[in-house]
Amino acid sequence: MSVKFVKAAALALTGVLSFSASAVMAQEAKSLDELLNYVKQGQVTEAKENRAREAKFSKDKANQAAALKRAEAERARQEQLSAELEAKFEENQLLIAAKQEQLQERLGTLTELFGHLTSAAGDLSSNLEVSLASAQYPGREVFLKDLIDKMSSSDQLPSIEEIERVWFELMREIRETGVVTKFDAEVASPAGERAPREVLRVGAFNLVDTDGNYLSYDSGSLSELPRQPSGPYTGWAADLANATGGLNSFGIDPTGPTGGSFLAAIIDTPTLEERWHQGGYVGYAITAVGIFAFLLAIWRMIVLTAVGAKVNSQLKSDKANDNNPLGRVLKIHEDNPTMDTETLELKLSEGVLKETPKLESGLTLLKIIAAVAPLMGLLGTVTGMIITFQAITIFGAGDPKAMAGGISGALITTVLGLLVAIPTVLLHTVVNGRAQRIIHILDEQTTGMIAEHTEANLRS
Amino acid sequence: MGDLIEVLLGFMDKGGDVLWLIAALLFVMWTLIFERFWYFQMGWKKDVAQVIAKWEGRPERKSWEAFQIRQMMISQSRMQINRNLPVIKTLVALCPLLGLLGTVTGMIEVFNIMAVTGGGDAKSMAGGVQQATIPTMAGMVAALSGVFANTYVTRIAQREGEFLQDNLTTDH
Repeated sequence: MSVKFVKAAALALTGVLSFSASAVMAQEAKSLDELLNYVKQGQVTEAKENRAREAKFSKDKANQAAALKRAEAERARQEQLSAELEAKFEENQLLIAAKQEQLQERLGTLTELFGHLTSAAGDLSSNLEVSLASAQYPGREVFLKDLIDKMSSSDQLPSIEEIERVWFELMREIRETGVVTKFDAEVASPAGERAPREVLRVGAFNLVDTDGNYLSYDSGSLSELPRQPSGPYTGWAADLANATGGLNSFGIDPTGPTGGSFLAAIIDTPTLEERWHQGGYVGYAITAVGIFAFLLAIWRMIVLTAVGAKVNSQLKSDKANDNNPLGRVLKIHEDNPTMDTETLELKLSEGVLKETPKLESGLTLLKIIAAVAPLMGLLGTVTGMIITFQAITIFGAGDPKAMAGGISGALITTVLGLLVAIPTVLLHTVVNGRAQRIIHILDEQTTGMIAEHTEANLRS
Repeated sequence: MGDLIEVLLGFMDKGGDVLWLIAALLFVMWTLIFERFWYFQMGWKKDVAQVIAKWEGRPERKSWEAFQIRQMMISQSRMQINRNLPVIKTLVALCPLLGLLGTVTGMIEVFNIMAVTGGGDAKSMAGGVQQATIPTMAGMVAALSGVFANTYVTRIAQREGEFLQDNLTTDH
């Protein structure tokens, strides 16, 4: 004990020393003599203080001994109390064991029943967490979780109200999966803004809003699907959401509790426009060629129909009219009525030869386009395949999805090529038929007409 | 009868939209073919009799004029005989092309399903395979039926043309 005191005193002394030294330094001695004087004074005051402290410590020593005695007495008392409490604890534990045994005995078959109740509540809780009906009735699983916690603790039993509420929740879930209802809920848009909307729930299958947008439900929050299924599906949804009665057709996806894989597949299916873009540059080129061929065919059709009508009216009239090919050929005879037959035949075939290219113009181009369009499609498909297989050499064939997507896109150009070729072939046939009819008339019938004409003139 | 329509509609559904195109094409093709048969059975006899009567009614059939008029008559009749034959021929050629179109769209469907499901689901791909194979078969059958009819009609047209040419004799 005394050693400790000495140590403490030494520590205190060093503290005082260092303090006074810095105080001396702070006074800023003007000369060495003055400094010496300061040091001397300091020594004198420190020695005085130390003596006073020593006297104080020796006086305290008697007090400290008395305090130690008091503390020892207190410890003895506490130890006795501890022994007493320990004995009581043992006694109580025996009592608890006996009581628990009694509880088990009294519960009997009820234990099994509560086990079933716990597992049923657990199943229901996990079902409710993913059920779309929870979007309408939030917080149902909180009660079930509390109930399960209560039942798994050893000292509490469920009340009859709680057991009946489990029953009620089960019945409500069964009922809600079979109805189509509307309710208001907060929905997050794809941009992330939350706003209240009127939501339509179709059983436990789909959630749509009144505009026909499909919603997804995930861990308590509703959000609009960023990409909606195309075509009739959203229309059906809107019709159903705005219907007041009667029967409405609506597609549900039974493959999953929330949306499901079929809906996902429908959403992932590219639209017609996206498919067209999959064709890439070759696809655009084919489309351009197709539009050109279509316009060319229409233009030739209009021109040839007009020429055909004029030729028909020329066939009925006696006078050669030079607004049509037949009239221009007949005019050769009309201008030189005295020409001998051999020269006339030569001149006529010359005139026909002059008219034919005008009638047939553009037809060869149409035929070439009809032949080239499928080849262009094939080109696009092959280049698409090359790109796909290059991707396989880099990334490996581990992912059939990526490969299948590439091939599916590559085949689009073949479809485009065929879609251009088939109508072009048909149009070419029709337009060519019109051209050939006029050419046949020019080529094989003009001489006959002239002959008929001269015969008629001779007779009259 | 109702069952038959149902079976037919089921078949069309399996084959996809291209099958309807092939059906429309087939309908147009056979309409034109029947029109030709009808003409050769009904109208042609009268027409050829008229042409021959007109030719026989001429005072002389030896001059240059007579020869040119004969040419013209034959040409006009040929135009009657050969009407729609090129269109029929084209339609026959288009049938397999449409079948090919169906095949390619079906294959796109197959690969698309593969891209979504990862290729594990053979059942869902079977739908696309059906779409790919049925139009090809339908196109082939349509083309085959058309080929026979087209050949037959073309042969009739050729024979009747020659018959007319033989009957417009230059001298008796």
